[in-house]
Amino acid sequence: MRKKQFVKVSSAALLLGSLVFLVSGTVQSKEPLDDAADFDRLMEAVAYGDQLWHTGEGGGGKHKELSTNGLGCANCHPDGSATQPESWPKYQTNLGKVGTLREMINWCIQVVQNGTGYALDSKEMIAMEAYATYMNRGTKLNPGLNAQTSPFVISGPGYPTNNEGNR
Amino acid sequence: MEEKDKKIFSDKEKITRRDFLGLSAKGAAATMIAGVFAPSVGSMIGLGGVAEAAKKKIKPFTFAVLTDGHLYDIKDHRFDAMFMKAVDMVNKMSPRPDMVIYAGDIGQTGLEAELKKGKQMLDKLKMPYKVIPGEHDWYLDMGKAWRGFFGDENWSINHNGAHVIGMNSIKIDDFWTGPGLTPEERMGRVLELECNSCGPWGVEADGLEWLEKDVKKVSPDTPIIFFSHSPLWDYYPRWNFNTKDAPEIRAILRKFDNVMAVHGHVHQVLFNKIGNISSVGTSSTSWPWPYPAVDLPYPHIRHNRLDPGNFEDGMGAHHLSVADDGSGTMFYDPFEPSSIPDAVKRGVKL
Repeated sequence: MRKKQFVKVSSAALLLGSLVFLVSGTVQSKEPLDDAADFDRLMEAVAYGDQLWHTGEGGGGKHKELSTNGLGCANCHPDGSATQPESWPKYQTNLGKVGTLREMINWCIQVVQNGTGYALDSKEMIAMEAYATYMNRGTKLNPGLNAQTSPFVISGPGYPTNNEGNR
Repeated sequence: MEEKDKKIFSDKEKITRRDFLGLSAKGAAATMIAGVFAPSVGSMIGLGGVAEAAKKKIKPFTFAVLTDGHLYDIKDHRFDAMFMKAVDMVNKMSPRPDMVIYAGDIGQTGLEAELKKGKQMLDKLKMPYKVIPGEHDWYLDMGKAWRGFFGDENWSINHNGAHVIGMNSIKIDDFWTGPGLTPEERMGRVLELECNSCGPWGVEADGLEWLEKDVKKVSPDTPIIFFSHSPLWDYYPRWNFNTKDAPEIRAILRKFDNVMAVHGHVHQVLFNKIGNISSVGTSSTSWPWPYPAVDLPYPHIRHNRLDPGNFEDGMGAHHLSVADDGSGTMFYDPFEPSSIPDAVKRGVKL
């Protein structure tokens, strides 16, 4: 290789290497972690889930996705009790398969509450899952658990609510 | 009754209202815990109790108990059919109950139409019935429609030698005027079991005064059957599975040899005994509540795990039979027999 050609190739390699470094450096850099802000985002979902959980109790037909017979999730599952997020996925007789908590929530909405239900990846479904899971926080994973009692006792208000309207 | 017995009963009746209203929360809790493990006052002092109960002339009888229909103002709602199924079940009971007590929450949102629907079905009973209110019946119009249909919220009757009491135990301090809530908003909060702005329920001062007067001249050997919507003990206050002035109620009733307290609200098989008062919970005709994970420090009973796909599982009627010795036995009459453990099917002694 002649010296002139070598210089050209080396310059090109250096330029490419610099670009790769810049690009990879951009990908690897992160915003500073902000646990409090992340938790606030979760609590927004929990609060929305709480609202949906209690929608339907008393008001029949206004939220057809959730209920058309006046029943809400909280009629049978106050505080998200007896949802047992720690036990899913599991075989559930009513689903007829190994299913997820989201699928069971939809089963309750559609069969017990006569609602149309939600897409499993919808904001609403994720919010209800977040509510049920948060209310059962601290429980140990227990796949397949089938029991009638939630293994927790809540003291105090559970989590802060603004008490506006029907929660 | 011997002279010394009269003196002690007289002394017991001298407990003033101030005495028991003055019980601190700590003192009340201690009383309750002691009551679980200690024999009743009557049996401790060797008076009243069994010996006295044997003297009381009781003509055996049976009452049926229905509760918590939570009817909606929606045509052909499935809760209507379950309510009516329980009414039909009672009409077919043999021997026929002398009376039916409805332990509250006929309606879900307190609408007059809900209560009217319930009354129309209760009117199909072939025997007399009495009703006490639940919170779902009450907080839309503060009991106006309920009183129009069912009369007094506190009542008592004497039946075959027993004294039967029904009380409104779901009175809450005013939490709605300050924030300016509408009646619908007030009801909306109360109908949530987890309402954390509603505060605890009770019979409140006027109820205690009524009860004190009602039982003042009733002899201690008279069997008492006490109906309230909420339990007369602190089961799970977060869900209002309690009555805030239950310690005061128990103090008023302490002079009696045997008090059989039957309550609604919990939608589940449940039992507790504090001193001379046995409390038994009831199944609904709407939905079952889960058991909160409370470690109960006394013998207790539960229904079996229920199938959410069977809308009648865990629901049903009940009957309470009182024997000639003044003791009672509560029977669960479920729509779905598999929900009740065999031991409970044989009856719960009260």
